Amino acid sequence: MQKFLLIIRDDVQRLAKLSREEMNSNILEMTTWVEELAQSGNWVNGEPLMHEGRYVSRDHVLSDGPFIEAKEAVSGYITIRAENLNQAASIAQTCPKVTRNEVVIEVREIMVMDEEVRPSGYKEE
Amino acid sequence: MNHSADKIQKESDQLYRSHYGKMVGWLLYFSSDIDLETAEDIVHDAFASAIVAWRNDGIPANQAGWIFTVCRNKALNKIKERKRITGINHVTHAAVHEPEFSESVLKDQQLKLLFACAHPDLSPKTQVIITLKYVANLKVEAIASVFGMTIDGIDKILVRARQKIRNEKILLAVPNPRSLQARLPIVHKIIYLIYNEGYKSSWGKEILREELCEEALLMNKELLDQNIGNTETAALQALMLFNAARFKARFGPDGELRDLEEQDRSLWNRGLIALGCEFLERSKAGPISPYHYEAAIAYLHCKEKDFKNTDWQSISQLYFHLLKINPNPFVQLNYAIALYYAGEKTMSQKLLKELEEKPFLNQYYLLNATMGKIYLLEKNYTIARSFFNKTLHQTNFEAEKNYIAKMIKKIDEVEGLKS
Repeated sequence: MQKFLLIIRDDVQRLAKLSREEMNSNILEMTTWVEELAQSGNWVNGEPLMHEGRYVSRDHVLSDGPFIEAKEAVSGYITIRAENLNQAASIAQTCPKVTRNEVVIEVREIMVMDEEVRPSGYKEE
Repeated sequence: MNHSADKIQKESDQLYRSHYGKMVGWLLYFSSDIDLETAEDIVHDAFASAIVAWRNDGIPANQAGWIFTVCRNKALNKIKERKRITGINHVTHAAVHEPEFSESVLKDQQLKLLFACAHPDLSPKTQVIITLKYVANLKVEAIASVFGMTIDGIDKILVRARQKIRNEKILLAVPNPRSLQARLPIVHKIIYLIYNEGYKSSWGKEILREELCEEALLMNKELLDQNIGNTETAALQALMLFNAARFKARFGPDGELRDLEEQDRSLWNRGLIALGCEFLERSKAGPISPYHYEAAIAYLHCKEKDFKNTDWQSISQLYFHLLKINPNPFVQLNYAIALYYAGEKTMSQKLLKELEEKPFLNQYYLLNATMGKIYLLEKNYTIARSFFNKTLHQTNFEAEKNYIAKMIKKIDEVEGLKS
């Protein structure tokens, strides 16, 4: 099985307006999904992200990023194990937030580097 | 003779339940010109015509045969339509060859369907859903209630999955033993997930839940009987049987949830435990899989007459190995619990602390309920109460909520005595 990164893109403005109860029920829903992924042996790890962020570039022009104004921003990531890219996509499709058309998930295979080309100090998790 | 509409509906529902997948499988076997979608349409049509025809003519003695004949005729018509240009030699040949409703072919067909559902491009959940539909013959409504989804949602998944399977040769060709072996691990996982879905204590309709567990056991047994299964299959069978033995004891007379410690062990089904032991024995010849460890853990629980004699040392070691080949926070939680009861409290605390720091996990009902229980056992009532309180909005299930309420009441009583 290969590893895949699921990048979750959310409507940040909608997220900011959620009530406490709505947030709780969102969390419950995601936890249930995560449990499901763990049970089927696909779960590796994942974390939600805070709304606030910075964009940096060489000219150190820092901005709050388009996180607040933009409708869509990355709100979290999940790493899974899957048989192939198709299965990884099919798994992402079962995310309850995708089903309800609240988020879009980008699915990318994580590159496996050969032992030789790994930079020194590289550690497998 | 006329039958009431109710009776006809009931009979046809029953038949659907027992024969839907067989009919679909048989049609695919009957002619390579019929794809899965067409086969399903034909069987649905046939059931619809049955309800009309039986109302007028009465229910036939051989209902399966009746539906089957209709399916065959409809299939022949479909093929004729398509072959009109290319000539119908093949069709006439099929038509004179009276098809036999042979049990063995059907069984093979159903197993073929099971392996087709184990398509590696589909998510495990999708695999489970299409297996419930085509192999266990569950209606979409029932599948929707199992997953707490809408009928529409299940339909969407089925349409997508069907497109995938349609391009597959596995249904039409004679199965090649090697390709079956390659998919066996996925088939195991499907069966395991169907079983767990049925075993979960968190949702209602006990009859449907038991049915899912039974289906899983039957499918898995079929793999072994047809010599497709291996020692992993046997380990999975053992695991499911040990858990099935405790199925009824998990609830008290009023439907309240009982944890392992509270269960009345005289209600455990000794017959199933003995049967589980046989399969565990059979599983020993091969390499050790996660199912082996889980089965061994379930066995260690099953063999003890009471909770306090549980061999937590061995159980925690088994969890340790399971965690190594299947690293996952939910296994880690069980490992931590086993360590606690084995007396390794420091190590247990360390693992629980790790879990608590993980996102998602810190919002997880079972983790917080476990923390609450451990602090309760440690007589640290304030912290125990805070963990139990935390769980209250972390589950939507009555049985779990009631369990927590019971634990909080226990704390109230102890603290009442102190003051």
